[in-house]
Amino acid sequence: MQRLLVLVALIAAPAMALADDVLYLYNWNNYISDAAVRRFEARCRCRVKQDYYSSNEEMLAKLAAGAAGYDILVPTGNAVETLIRENALRPIDKSRLPNLASIRPEFLDTPFDPGNRYSVPYAYSVTLIGYNEQKMKELGLPTGTWAVIFEPKYLERLKGKVTVLDDPRELIGAALRYLGHSINETDEARLKQARDLILRAKPYWAAFNASSYIKELTIGNIWLAHGYSSDMFQAAQDAEKARRPFTIGYATPREGAVIAVDSMVLHKSGRRPDLAHLFIDFMLEGGNSAELTNLTGSGNPNLAALPHIRPDIKDNPAVFPDTEARKRLEMMRDLDRKSRRLVNRLWTEIKVR
Amino acid sequence: MSDEAHTTAASRLTRRLVSGPPFLFLLVFFVLPGLIMVAASFRYPGEFGGLAPLSAGRPGEEAGLTIENYRVFFGDWIYAEIFAKSFGVAALTALICLVMAYPVALAIARSPRQRRDFLTLLVILPFASNFLVRIYAWMIILGPLDLLFSRTAVVIGMVYVHLPFMILPLYTNLEKHDPVLLDAAQDLGAGAWQRFWRVTFPLSLPGIFAGSALVFIPVLGMFAIPEILGGKDDWLVGNLIKESFLGTRDWPFGSMLSIMLTLAVLAVAGFSAWLARRGGGRA
Repeated sequence: MQRLLVLVALIAAPAMALADDVLYLYNWNNYISDAAVRRFEARCRCRVKQDYYSSNEEMLAKLAAGAAGYDILVPTGNAVETLIRENALRPIDKSRLPNLASIRPEFLDTPFDPGNRYSVPYAYSVTLIGYNEQKMKELGLPTGTWAVIFEPKYLERLKGKVTVLDDPRELIGAALRYLGHSINETDEARLKQARDLILRAKPYWAAFNASSYIKELTIGNIWLAHGYSSDMFQAAQDAEKARRPFTIGYATPREGAVIAVDSMVLHKSGRRPDLAHLFIDFMLEGGNSAELTNLTGSGNPNLAALPHIRPDIKDNPAVFPDTEARKRLEMMRDLDRKSRRLVNRLWTEIKVR
Repeated sequence: MSDEAHTTAASRLTRRLVSGPPFLFLLVFFVLPGLIMVAASFRYPGEFGGLAPLSAGRPGEEAGLTIENYRVFFGDWIYAEIFAKSFGVAALTALICLVMAYPVALAIARSPRQRRDFLTLLVILPFASNFLVRIYAWMIILGPLDLLFSRTAVVIGMVYVHLPFMILPLYTNLEKHDPVLLDAAQDLGAGAWQRFWRVTFPLSLPGIFAGSALVFIPVLGMFAIPEILGGKDDWLVGNLIKESFLGTRDWPFGSMLSIMLTLAVLAVAGFSAWLARRGGGRA
């Protein structure tokens, strides 16, 4: 339905706009509200054309294969770094972004883009554990730790009711954090330790899953899922809307987790940096920025957005962690090719054995 | 004499005109990409995906040509394991498709002529909706049966998607059989089973081999079905290749895997062609 509205908007809008006034946006699925797109189109007297991706790898692969013409991309930190090193981005002109001042300082000047020459934080998510609150209470299981996903003594009570992310970096990263290492660990012995931990827990899991865990949690087919905070938000909402006899909760494990900050960047192949700057500043306005959080449950790095965010989301420590918890969140770095190959090799073992 | 030479020249020209476009198509869309893959499989991966340069920018940097990708492949049992598993799933799928498709194809071939086109249309009707949508529909069917995320679910999905590729070549073959042969067999005292086993079946062997190849080969490269319906151990070669290209951006390794898969498929195709020729000779 939402797609349909976008489509209708895209068809209806050009009647007023000049053929050239088009902003090409390459964004995650469901990562901007249709209302915001329409308001921006009214303000800039232009059209917004969107393409979607469902993973950074997919986006990078398409760009590497020659996809061009996008004014704005919304990659996660490690992909921002890759794009910068590939020399694929256009520097931003901060004088054209008065609203940049409202971004929380801890989200600026990251190792990916020192001084934010190329990127402006958009939203973030945390990779955590979502669970069926009643079942977990019934079974007497802890929820604030990775142990519940990796330790057979807990998993015995959950056999076939757990899914983990079908993503090598995320799953191995969670195992590494549980073992007390960094998510970006490249030491072979430690990575193999993580593999062994995963292989020991694997018999108890139902599946490796990238997206349908939202539905499975909502239906009650699974009771525990390793996944993204915004997906868990959706699962919790869906379960409530469907009046399930249970509720979905989510919590960040105390051992620490991945925080994925998505940023708006200007791709060099874009032809309208003027519209792109206008769009970035528009999305930084408190109301527009908060709308995304209210819609998707994404974390929000924007101070101006806070007054507009629904109180139940604002008070959720999994979405807005306090200073202490934030220290245990780690951003994923891109690995060099040797480590990538090692991870691929370990992942193959995990998926075959 | 010269007249005969003239006709051969003309027929040679026709043959070239007819075989030219498919030949060109194969050259451009199979041989050339294949050669690019072969070249890529002897290179190092680039830092951001793609390939590392042929000459090193800095000393000590990996560049140029290497057989490392093949060494990794042959130096580790896990890749042979995943190939064996994929061939097993492909063979099982082809077998189930054959058992299910044969009666259908036979029924269509023996139905009144004016109804055959309609029945064939029914066979290909599922293609009218997107294949991913149909696989997602299977999630809804298999979920309550407790079969979702299992090897069984993968095989069910594979059989479902590839069944028409078995029915159609079988039907094309069976339709051409001369019914007089069966009458003759009956006159000579053959029962229903003997008529099938000693007349229809041997004559249909080329159709069986064509259908099996059309099922077996795509199943080997399929990655979407294991990803959507499969459980924890149901990775096939296709998934590994996809992960190499998109996940770890290791193009040379993915190219090497594709080449090994192509070689394996060619070996199977060659074997089945040999079998078909032998079988055809006997019939």
